[in-house]
Amino acid sequence: MFIAGANSPIKNTSYKVVLPFYGYAALSFLVATILLFNNTSAFTQHYFSPHTLAITHTMALGWGTMIILGASHQLFPVMIEGKLHSNFLAYLSFFFAAVGIPFLVTAFYKFDMSFIAQTGAVLINLAVLCYLANLWLSIANSKSKNIHAIFAFTAVLWLFTTTLLGLLLIWNFTTHIFSEGSLYFLSLHAHLGIIGWFLLMIMGVGSRLIPMFLISKYENKKMLWWIYSLINVGLISFIFIFLSSLKTQLYFVPIVLVGIGVVLFGIFIYRSYAQRIRKKVDGQVKMSLLSVVLVVVPIIILAIIILLFATLSNIQLVLLYGFTIFFGWITTIILGMTFKTLPFIIWNKVYSSIAGIGKTPNPKELFSSRIFMANGVTYLIGFIIFGLGIIQSSVLILNIGSIFLLITAVLYNFNVFKILFHKA
Amino acid sequence: MNKINANTKIAHLLKAHPDALEAIISIDAKFNKLRNPLLRKVLAGRTSISMASKMAGCKVDDFFNKLKPLGFEIDADTLPIVEEKKNLPAFISSLTKSQIIDFDVRELLASGIDPLTLILDKVKSVQAGEALKVINTFEPVPLIKMLEKKGFDVYADIISNDLVETYFFKKSEDSEIEVKPKDGADSGWDEIMQRFMDNLVTVDVRNLEMPQPMLTILSEIDKLTNEKALYVTHKRIPVFLLPELADRKFDYRIKEVAEGEVYLLIFKN
Repeated sequence: MFIAGANSPIKNTSYKVVLPFYGYAALSFLVATILLFNNTSAFTQHYFSPHTLAITHTMALGWGTMIILGASHQLFPVMIEGKLHSNFLAYLSFFFAAVGIPFLVTAFYKFDMSFIAQTGAVLINLAVLCYLANLWLSIANSKSKNIHAIFAFTAVLWLFTTTLLGLLLIWNFTTHIFSEGSLYFLSLHAHLGIIGWFLLMIMGVGSRLIPMFLISKYENKKMLWWIYSLINVGLISFIFIFLSSLKTQLYFVPIVLVGIGVVLFGIFIYRSYAQRIRKKVDGQVKMSLLSVVLVVVPIIILAIIILLFATLSNIQLVLLYGFTIFFGWITTIILGMTFKTLPFIIWNKVYSSIAGIGKTPNPKELFSSRIFMANGVTYLIGFIIFGLGIIQSSVLILNIGSIFLLITAVLYNFNVFKILFHKA
Repeated sequence: MNKINANTKIAHLLKAHPDALEAIISIDAKFNKLRNPLLRKVLAGRTSISMASKMAGCKVDDFFNKLKPLGFEIDADTLPIVEEKKNLPAFISSLTKSQIIDFDVRELLASGIDPLTLILDKVKSVQAGEALKVINTFEPVPLIKMLEKKGFDVYADIISNDLVETYFFKKSEDSEIEVKPKDGADSGWDEIMQRFMDNLVTVDVRNLEMPQPMLTILSEIDKLTNEKALYVTHKRIPVFLLPELADRKFDYRIKEVAEGEVYLLIFKN
């Protein structure tokens, strides 16, 4: 009972739990860009189309959610100064999601909303529940409950709300659960996921990690609480306005609230950047800082949509809005943060036991930084060109953009698997 | 599975099996001191089974018999690395009282301080022809090995079960030259420790909240001169620190004794 390990308050999550998520996310990104490449014409049509839905869900679930799940299994114990409650629940969560996501995506692609889609949706919800339970039990067992963990946990609650609504929307195709069709609820479902899950989670984790990577002493808990409240109140007001079918102009209330939250977050990050100790910022962190800037883009687009059209029906702008979120903001942060987390997890796996014997490599040497840089360049080119293609409704421009995005995914996969298979 | 022999370190056993601690304590009541986390830290990483059995006055086989049921695979063929003990060496009897520097570390141990760095500090003040007498509750085998390599004559006088006086006699001024460092790239923890033992700056960051451990270590190494090394006690391997060290041209060795108990040695190469 005095063995240090057994009752030590801090425990690293086993890499075995975390790595499958990373590999899965990388492959999902590749699949999404291949789908994009093969279906560029979908981006000249209405956003509620089978192929667009398939691509969006590959991006949102397979790419964004899976990597956050993986990274947070590793980071959450660090944030709460405790340990992950159960590796088994983490494996279970991976298993359900890994099987459920292809089911759902295939069903969307074929637009078959019966058994396959329903199975996929149920499995994804089970995955989220396992994850939610695991985080809850981890928090309950730890002494330190800080703002970052509260951000993250709230985000997971929103994720569950999102996937549960998604499940109901799937069923709504075959049996009439709601009085309206599933398209009607699309923006509710999407924003629960985008604001509640991704934005809140990325802010919660980012407000801890970005200052840490910049080696900054800046701290401002009060400001973080403001951000937390603004985002959540904004989202709740959105739900309220949506469900009571109020005037479109009222949507400015949530946009302004969330917008202020985002600006405050930007200020928070800027201040910690200004007070950093490390003067040279590396490429991975630069990419993540770019992501902070990129959050503003969809908000501006959204404001334009409402200002110009007083309606949410301009197809190109809505497509652009979704694209800048999933391929812009979320993808940039992942492209950067992957190489700020994964090499260290692998380093720990391969070298921690032999770091006393002799010289060990710098974790940064586990991936090719040249490919990382190339990755960033092809990504930015692809993102801008594809975005232009959406605005112009030009299949040619979309095709060119999608090739760059596909190359980005290939390079990213190369580097990720180079790290995953690293041997001493 | 888990192969052990007479030279296996106690820390390895404790890490490999949660019941190993109780099994070892059941061999001899003397090992009760392993219950104390500090003593465990001081001893377990530096003491092999054969050293431990010598301290307790039992046999290496006693360890094997207790550990076998826990699933350890026993390699009884590897012989312990024996250090020859000189019986009542002449250097002790020839010393006068003024040539012996007493250092009683029992209180330090009882109050929870690792006396290693303090002892090493004392060692520095020992002149040629003088001896340091460390008064301790057990035979400090790891320290003995360390200083023997530095050219000291050592004799441990076991007075009773919990009183051991160990003499470290410095023969001549040049006895330290033997352990001058070679190129550090391939040297392991022990060699690096040898090299910097007189020049350690210690810092314990276990109780600091993130990101304070990183900031503390970085500010410590900013102050570090070339001939000194920073000895860090940490809860975990600080992976994010490693690129920072590389950027600042520092090298490091890491010793993970158990989960939640990690030591780092940071130095300039």
